[in-house]
Amino acid sequence: MESRATLFDPPVRGGPVRDAWLVTALLAAATAFGLLLGRYASLTSVAMLYVLAVAVASYAVRLSASIACALGAVALLNFFFIPPHFSFRVDAGENVATLLALLCVAVVISQLGTAMRRQTQAARLNALRALQLEQLATELAGATFPAEILLLCQRFLSRSFAGPCLAGLLRDGRLDLPADTPAAVREALQAAADDGRALGAGTERWPDLDAWFLPLASEGHVGGAACVRNAPADEGSRQHAQAICALAGQALWRVKLRGSIQAAEKESQWHQAQNTFLAAISHDFRTPLAAIVAAASSLQTQGDRLAEPERRRLLAVILDETGYLSNLTENTLQLARLENAGEIQLDWQSIEEIVGSVLARVRRRDPDRRIQSRVPSGLPLIKADPVLLAQLLENLLDNALKYSDEAIELVVDSYDGSLQLAVHDRGEGIAPGDERAIFRPYRRNDHAGRRGAGLGLAVCRAISNAHGGELLVRPREGGGSSFVLRLPVEAVQPAGEPA
Amino acid sequence: MSLRILIVEDDREIRSLLRSSLALEGFEVQTAVSVSEARALLHHAEPDALLLDLGLPDGDGMDLVREIRTRKAMPILVVSARHQEKEKVRLLDSGADDYLTKPFGVPELLARLRVAMRHRGTALASARLVHDHEDLHVDLETRQVTVDSRPVHLTPTEFKLLARLVRSAGKVVTHRQLLAEVWGPEYTDHTHYLRLYMAQLRAKIERDPAEPLHLLTETGVGYRLAAA
Repeated sequence: MESRATLFDPPVRGGPVRDAWLVTALLAAATAFGLLLGRYASLTSVAMLYVLAVAVASYAVRLSASIACALGAVALLNFFFIPPHFSFRVDAGENVATLLALLCVAVVISQLGTAMRRQTQAARLNALRALQLEQLATELAGATFPAEILLLCQRFLSRSFAGPCLAGLLRDGRLDLPADTPAAVREALQAAADDGRALGAGTERWPDLDAWFLPLASEGHVGGAACVRNAPADEGSRQHAQAICALAGQALWRVKLRGSIQAAEKESQWHQAQNTFLAAISHDFRTPLAAIVAAASSLQTQGDRLAEPERRRLLAVILDETGYLSNLTENTLQLARLENAGEIQLDWQSIEEIVGSVLARVRRRDPDRRIQSRVPSGLPLIKADPVLLAQLLENLLDNALKYSDEAIELVVDSYDGSLQLAVHDRGEGIAPGDERAIFRPYRRNDHAGRRGAGLGLAVCRAISNAHGGELLVRPREGGGSSFVLRLPVEAVQPAGEPA
Repeated sequence: MSLRILIVEDDREIRSLLRSSLALEGFEVQTAVSVSEARALLHHAEPDALLLDLGLPDGDGMDLVREIRTRKAMPILVVSARHQEKEKVRLLDSGADDYLTKPFGVPELLARLRVAMRHRGTALASARLVHDHEDLHVDLETRQVTVDSRPVHLTPTEFKLLARLVRSAGKVVTHRQLLAEVWGPEYTDHTHYLRLYMAQLRAKIERDPAEPLHLLTETGVGYRLAAA
């Protein structure tokens, strides 16, 4: 047997050869001692020496060897010490009785000794197993993933049993097992997991198998199943295996419970965020809608009585507010998309081009040309999503137009390794301490009674992050704010056209 | 004779609004609510232009555009929402003439239609050879380009790129189309060529390259040469 088997089958160390040597040595020692004492000791004393040898042997060797020892002791006593000496003949009837008594005593002692040895070994084994379960429990307490628990379970089973041992986790009712698992083993494991009961050797179901199939279960909650093949027949071993599996089952259930608690917490946080989101969004949508409804209904019912300039003004309100709504919708969608999409698609883009396309759109809302742009030529290309970057820039410019009445500067620059886009305004600025909060969804500077896209800056921040960039706001000397976007520039620019 | 236009749009309100606005401009308007209905109508009557909404209930007009392009030269305008960028570009690449992004105003729709009709109406017979818009004058035959009457020297590739845009003046030309026609079909992924050459062209033609008046960027789609 291999060394890993020591825990469940260790009654005797060594094999029959060792037993033979030990018995021979003990008998030889008893004989030699008897011969030495011969003149001074009685036959009874010598017989006692042999009884001692048999007693020692019975504790150290197998029952068969111990009985062989008893027989040898009787033979040797007869040969060396019972007259006539150096022959197996027995003359005196009294001596025959002595020999028979010795034989009986020797056999009884060897049986008692063997039983005692077994008990000691069983006690030692139980202590070892208890220690092992304690170790397993300690290690399981530190495990946080089902796979970790499974590995521990498998390791402890393999340490205790010759095996091979195998364990799998239950996922959606199916056991997740290595692909090379034999179909019969797979089925039996699945059955154990489905029933939550052990089956195989020594159990009520399929007791003829030489393997155990044990659920990793705790109070009816099955997390997986394990199999120990070439299982030893004794009840204690199976109970130990079941104890290991039960500990693993408990740990699996604990991890699962913890996971669902976390999920529940997360969901409640998400609901909270959703509520804030919905409250804010309905406010942001309702205000422009109210303006549109008022203007349109006024045109519908009072249209004929309104002066032409007033009618035009109402129409302009409707168009303006729909533009605002359309922007808001776009930002809301974009934020949701950026939060869910993860990776965005990047391609080589020219920042000059993006600025140009944004200005073309924003100028419609900037008839006085308050925005002044400074874009140097020969800027490096950047890896970007042009639609997203354009939206970022458009949001920043729209905000600047909305929150200030003076000139707005759009300045692009390239520093070593990065491109910087800055929008400087002369608005009332951001209150100190608010520099981070304004980038959160639905935070708004509402003082001046002017509406801002509550989402605009949150979308800008999300877009900047998606590009590995950095978006900051700084107070501007002389009043107003500077919104600065820094974008990384690839060290290797794309090669031009092959000549 | 009035021009006939087919509107494929599943939203009832938008459909009726478009119908009345276009009818007011003198178009004879037909409507369809789905790709299959549009297909059936196309078999019977031949409209002069098609206004195709993306995201119709029975399929994305891709097949319809391809089918029409194998037989007819009628202008096709794609109407899309912002989040349909990819489908829009796919349709433009496979032969649609131009696009409108929802929400759009009627003046914008009419301008686009006008450009598209002009191209199909006259450009097929005689290719457009001269482009005049504001301070820019391009003559493809003599290969002359002037800004404010001052001659501008272009490299052969710059000229090829500009000439391609002139041939579709006023209309969007996708990145893919430009790359395939100026550099060759194997270069359709090299969008950085376009960025670099457009920057060069703008530096030579535009007064303020950062706020171009002629070489307009259609973000994520392509370029458009501004036309009257």
